[in-house]
Amino acid sequence: MSFVQYNGSALVAMTGKNCFAVASNRHLGVQHQTVATDFQRVFKIHEKLYIGLAGSASDVQTLHELLDNRHKFYQLQQERDMKPEAFANIVSQILYKKKSAPYVCQPVIAGLGDDDKPFICTMDSFGAKKLAKDFVVAGTASKSLYGACEAMYKSDMEPDELLETVSQALQASVGRDCLSGWSGLVFLVTPTEVRETILNFGAGGGPAAPVALAASGGAAAKKKKEEA
Amino acid sequence: SLERNHSFQLLLRFNSIRFYKYEYRFQWNWITIFFSFIYWNTDFDGFQKKAIQMVKPAKGTTTLAFIFKEGVMVAADSRASMGGYISSQSVKKIIEINPYMLGTMAGGAADCQFWHRNLGIKCRLHELANKRRISVTGASKLLANILYSYRGMGLSVGTMIAGWDETGPGLYYVDSEGGRLKGTRFSVGSGSPYAYGVLDNGYRYDMSIEEAAELARRSIYHATFRDGASGGVASVYYVGPNGWKKLSGDDVGELHYMYYPVVPSTVEQEMAEVPGA
Repeated sequence: MSFVQYNGSALVAMTGKNCFAVASNRHLGVQHQTVATDFQRVFKIHEKLYIGLAGSASDVQTLHELLDNRHKFYQLQQERDMKPEAFANIVSQILYKKKSAPYVCQPVIAGLGDDDKPFICTMDSFGAKKLAKDFVVAGTASKSLYGACEAMYKSDMEPDELLETVSQALQASVGRDCLSGWSGLVFLVTPTEVRETILNFGAGGGPAAPVALAASGGAAAKKKKEEA
Repeated sequence: SLERNHSFQLLLRFNSIRFYKYEYRFQWNWITIFFSFIYWNTDFDGFQKKAIQMVKPAKGTTTLAFIFKEGVMVAADSRASMGGYISSQSVKKIIEINPYMLGTMAGGAADCQFWHRNLGIKCRLHELANKRRISVTGASKLLANILYSYRGMGLSVGTMIAGWDETGPGLYYVDSEGGRLKGTRFSVGSGSPYAYGVLDNGYRYDMSIEEAAELARRSIYHATFRDGASGGVASVYYVGPNGWKKLSGDDVGELHYMYYPVVPSTVEQEMAEVPGA
C-alpha cells in the first residue's frame, strides 16, 4: 500500500452563501487496522481560515504546527490575519520547497476573504493549487467524494442546508472506503459564528446514529451547540 | 516412395555410436554454461505467477465458527473490498450447502461460491447413492481433495465446513493450499486476529445458544471495528440437530453505538487546539 493510503482520510470543503464548511473523518488507521476514532485533521488558523490536511498522519501534525507557527509570526509582524489567498500561496511554497522529499499530505484550505466571500482550494503533495468555486475534496475517499458532492451540491446554500449537504456527502463517500470512517467532524463558518459538529456514523457510514455533539469555548466568534 | 528422406539421413548420421558413450553425455563447455546461465536467470512462468497474483484477492473478511455444547455457531461479516474501495456491504459469506451443513466464504468469492455449490451436489449424490446423509468429515474431505488437485493454480479459498451429523457437531477448516483441519474454534480472514482475541477470551464449552450467539456477534463486531476490510452486517447462524437456522443479522455500525453509546459531554479544552506532543 502506498504511503498516501497508509493512514486513510476523507476531506471535503464546500462553499455556500457567504459561508463555507470543511468536513473530515476522524478515523486514524495503519493500513487496514483502525488505531483511533478521534483524530483531528481540520485545524483553525484564524477565525475565518481553516485548513484540513489529508494523508500521512505524521505529516498532518507536522504541517499543522508549521503553518500555525508561520501564521502567528505573520500576525506579530503585520498585526492582522492572513488572507486565504495569501495563505494558500504560503502553503504551496512550503510544499514545493520540499519537492525532493515531499510531505505526503494534501491540504484543503477554506476561508472567508474580502467582503466575506468564501475561498476554497486544495493542493497535491507538491503544492499545485486547485481552486474551485463549489467544492474541493482530498483523501483516500476522494473519488467517492467527488461523486457525492457533484450530486448534492447547489450554489448559494444557506448555512443550515450547507451543513446538511456536507454531512451527507461525507457520510455517503466514507461508506465506500475501507480506509476512512468512524465519525466525522464538520466546521461551518459564517461571518458571525463558527459551528462545530461531530457526526457519529458507523464504519462504512451505515444508517447512522446522527447524534451530533459540539462544544467548545472560544475566542471572539460566537460558537453554537448543535444537535443535528 | 523410393526417394531418400534427407532429414532421416541426418538423423542416422547424428545417432552414430560415438554419442552413446557415457563420457560424451554432458560436458561443461561455453555452450552449456551459456544455456544454463540463461535458464537460471529467466523467469519462464512469471506471467502465470503474475496472473495468479492478480486474480487472487487478499482475504479481506472475518468469519468464525466454534463448537459448543448445543451445536455449532457460525458468524461472518458482509463486506467485499477491492484494495481500498468497498465494492459491497451485503455479501452473503455464509453459504448454505444443504439444510444441515454450512460453509463460510473467505478469499475469492467466485471460488467459494462455485466449489461450495459443487460440494452440495456431491453431498446430494452421496445421499442418493448410499441412502444416508454424508458426514461432515466426508464432506470436508471431498472438498479438500478437490482443492488439493487445483493446488498452485490460483484458487483462493479459506472455508470452514460446519454441520451436524450422526456423531454430533462437526467443524473443519479447509483451504485452497489443500489443508484440512478438524477443530473446535476457527476464525478465517484479515480480521481473524481481532476476532480470536474476543472469541478465545469469552469461550466456554457449556454456553447457551443465546450466549454463544452474543459471543459470535461481538467477536465479528470487534473484528470489523479494527479491520478496515471487514464490515457491513454481522450475521450469526446456529447449526443444531435439526439443521441450521439464521439467528441474527445486525449492522455493525449500529452494534458499535449499542455496545458503546455516545455520552454527550462538555469539552473543556478547545477542540481546535492540538494538545502539545
